[in-house]
Amino acid sequence: MSTPMKTTRDVKGVGLSIPRPDGPEKVTGRVEYVADIQPKGLLHAKLLRSPHAHARIKRIDVSRARALAGVRAVLTAADIPQLKKKAPTRAHAVLAIDRVVFVGQPVAAVAADELAIAEEALDLIDVEYDVLPASVDPLRSMQPGAPGVADSGTEADTSEAMAHGAVAVAKTAEAAPAKGANVSQQSKLARGDVAAGFAASDLVLEKTYRVPMVHQGYLEPHAVLAQWDANGQLTLWASTQGSFNTRSEVADVLEIPENQIRVIPVECGGGFGGKIRALCEPITAVLARVTGRPVRYVMTRREELEAGMPAPQVIIRLKAGVKRDGTLMAIEGDTVLDTGAFSGTVLAVSAVLLASLYKWPAFEIRGVEVLTHKPSVAAYRAPVAPQTIFAIDSHMEQLARALGLDPVEFRRRHLIVPGDPMANGQPWQSNGAVQVLDRIAAHPLWKGRKEWAASGGKDGRGLRGTGLALGGWLGGLQPTSATVRLNPDGTLAVLTGQVDIAGTNIALAQIAASAYGVDIEKVKITTGDTDVAPVTGLSAGSKTVYTVGTAVLQAAEDARRQTLEIGASELEASIHDLDIVDGRVTVRGMPDRGITLAQIGKKGNLYMSKVQPVLGTARPSFTQQAPAFAAQLARVEVDPDTGELTLHEFVVVQDAGKAINPLGVEGQMQGGAVQSLGMAMTEALMFGDDGRLTNPSLLDYRKLTAADLPDIETIIVEVPSPSGPYGARGVGEPPIVPAPAAIANAIEDATGVRLTELPLTPERIALAIAAAAGSARR
Amino acid sequence: MAKQVLSFTVNDEPTEVLVRPYETLLDVLREGLGLTGPKEGCGTGDCGACTVHLDGEPIASCLMLGLQARGRHVRTIEGLGRMAALHPLQDAFVRHGVPQCGFCIPGVLMAAAAVLAEHPAPTPEEIRYGIAGNLCRCTGYTKMITAITEAAVAVAARS
Repeated sequence: MSTPMKTTRDVKGVGLSIPRPDGPEKVTGRVEYVADIQPKGLLHAKLLRSPHAHARIKRIDVSRARALAGVRAVLTAADIPQLKKKAPTRAHAVLAIDRVVFVGQPVAAVAADELAIAEEALDLIDVEYDVLPASVDPLRSMQPGAPGVADSGTEADTSEAMAHGAVAVAKTAEAAPAKGANVSQQSKLARGDVAAGFAASDLVLEKTYRVPMVHQGYLEPHAVLAQWDANGQLTLWASTQGSFNTRSEVADVLEIPENQIRVIPVECGGGFGGKIRALCEPITAVLARVTGRPVRYVMTRREELEAGMPAPQVIIRLKAGVKRDGTLMAIEGDTVLDTGAFSGTVLAVSAVLLASLYKWPAFEIRGVEVLTHKPSVAAYRAPVAPQTIFAIDSHMEQLARALGLDPVEFRRRHLIVPGDPMANGQPWQSNGAVQVLDRIAAHPLWKGRKEWAASGGKDGRGLRGTGLALGGWLGGLQPTSATVRLNPDGTLAVLTGQVDIAGTNIALAQIAASAYGVDIEKVKITTGDTDVAPVTGLSAGSKTVYTVGTAVLQAAEDARRQTLEIGASELEASIHDLDIVDGRVTVRGMPDRGITLAQIGKKGNLYMSKVQPVLGTARPSFTQQAPAFAAQLARVEVDPDTGELTLHEFVVVQDAGKAINPLGVEGQMQGGAVQSLGMAMTEALMFGDDGRLTNPSLLDYRKLTAADLPDIETIIVEVPSPSGPYGARGVGEPPIVPAPAAIANAIEDATGVRLTELPLTPERIALAIAAAAGSARR
Repeated sequence: MAKQVLSFTVNDEPTEVLVRPYETLLDVLREGLGLTGPKEGCGTGDCGACTVHLDGEPIASCLMLGLQARGRHVRTIEGLGRMAALHPLQDAFVRHGVPQCGFCIPGVLMAAAAVLAEHPAPTPEEIRYGIAGNLCRCTGYTKMITAITEAAVAVAARS
């Protein structure tokens, strides 16, 4: 990385709350998502999906469907020669071959003139299944003799972890030799003598924490539009978090060169990790090729819930030993991640977070990824971190309470600081974990927690409590690139391939403005498609501002240097004496001697001119992560009879490193908190013993609404990252991490009962209170 | 099934369109009339992304057949404001950074407009319950409620 040049600070750029410039397009309903695009000759696709979690396909007859008027194609796996029986990833399992392994797995595909005709055609496809026993519960799926999920020889898919830069920090070579049935990945991190640590402990606490599968919940279901031209070029209009990744996966599945595919990233209606991997793009492309027409496929919400790519079910058994004075002695953990029918969890993240956040002198953390006959999983905002922090933070809180210690002081005493070794031996990079914990402990709601608790339980009020939790994200990395051009009128054009979901483009434009030395109004940023944009990574893992922001910063510095070189030549001055002020390159101390950026831009685009155009480029890769932490505080009230939980106040404190655009950072903190609270309080994909989802609608898969929540207070802390642009860290993942633990801690503060299974529903709370009262009576 | 003529008023314009009897109002608006502002997020009336006004009342257009709108007045997000002159709600949403992915926004704005029609000076609770049928996954509801509260003042001043 080049040394940052001294840039003009006095511009409208980094640090300002600037609304995103495409806001008016979004609030007027004009912005187009995939389902809004209506090309001539459009066909509509539908998929016939398996009604069984595990079955052999004995026979498929599509003849009646093919005969229906308006049907243009009906495909089964037999029609697609590229498909392999051993699909290495979910994306490769385009249509089932011989066997289905989860409810909702695509078996046949239809393209028709109208959606209603395609739906009718599905009813006319006859499939005969031989239903087989299914492995639905992950713990039972690991047992010998459990029905097998994978065809033998299927390898673990760690590309999800790669995408999140997690494998680099968690090489866990030491896998246990005895592999259970359906175990697709194993990991182990250990240091010190755990048995001796427990033996010397005054208190050993063992609990098992359970978190169900949850859906990312993006409002726009998966959607893609595919069209081939006469030259065999495929264009995909995709709702994706990464157009280059989509291109690679589709090329791999369909065995066509990447330069024959153009992925246009259409406005993405939310992803949260669920739109990283290819899902319905390959089959839609095949239908378009077979029919010679543009084909659009939009998943229904039911399909999303039944057969999307949710977050894994997580079971964590933790056993921790401490001395009476609060000294940490040892921790032991067993993590089970239910990955569904295809491997792909970030197992390592859980192990690293369990053993690294607090300074355990001895630890042994084992992890297994288990295949089940359920939809395969993918990333969901800070994959596996909320579930892991639910376990470790709940555990820390209980240890503190059992020892009669202040829960914040107890965490603070053992919390890592930069330079401390993580569980994998690598040092913790600069981070603000301590600062966010200190900031939230200073909040009046925390200081007033005793008064709040004392005010409950009388005058018809419920039991009242306060809880907080600390969690974070290690930070994702991915090489990326960007260009910054100077236009003939002195404005700047920034180009990346970054899919802008959250408003990252305005932050990137602010970085360009500050780095080059012009006001933000002079900067336009464009997200290009895969044919025109420089290679750009995923919009995932809290790394857009950290990595693409670095690329834009360096490209803008490059453009600035080129501009100043031209200015030096034109003004016959030394480059070291030049600055960019108010749209002009001027000689310091001689404000009359200057040349406008427009003049320089024009000379770079003038017939017979000898001046080169200004084109700043950057293509950084990265090795250093920027961990980012958030602490959240909840003030709750619990009705001891019904278990009803009311959230009265909620606070998010987060280290953004440097808030490039505070308005956008707040939006991330509040939105992430709402998702985190949903995971804590209401959300669960509930599967029956037969592997069928029992709540496949948004009525039954309950997300939090405006009526459920108080205003969410945000406090931004800035502990600059030495490696981020202007000190910025990622801000997307941290706010989804702490709430489950914070709410469970608040419930214990209010009621005295400890809940270890999410979501923390009124039923679970009431039953736990009743059980505690019952055991107290006995 | 044969198509039938649907005559109704859309965004103050008398409109005629051929629709199939099973098409939802949302389908008619999006596919038949090209008004793609209303979104389909669930198709079961649970997410609110398809919210439009029917004779001034907010409804989930995915739950109503197109032909049931015969002779009635429908207003979509396209009829709330224009790029040149944003409705105060739209303006406040932009300034407060409410839209991230933006998919829920047309529905939320129509629900919010209905709140303001019923309660010119809404309390936070009235706003909360008024938009409780609209799910947002990106920004949450805090900035929305602030923006709606602020817009209410501007709307009241305008009328």
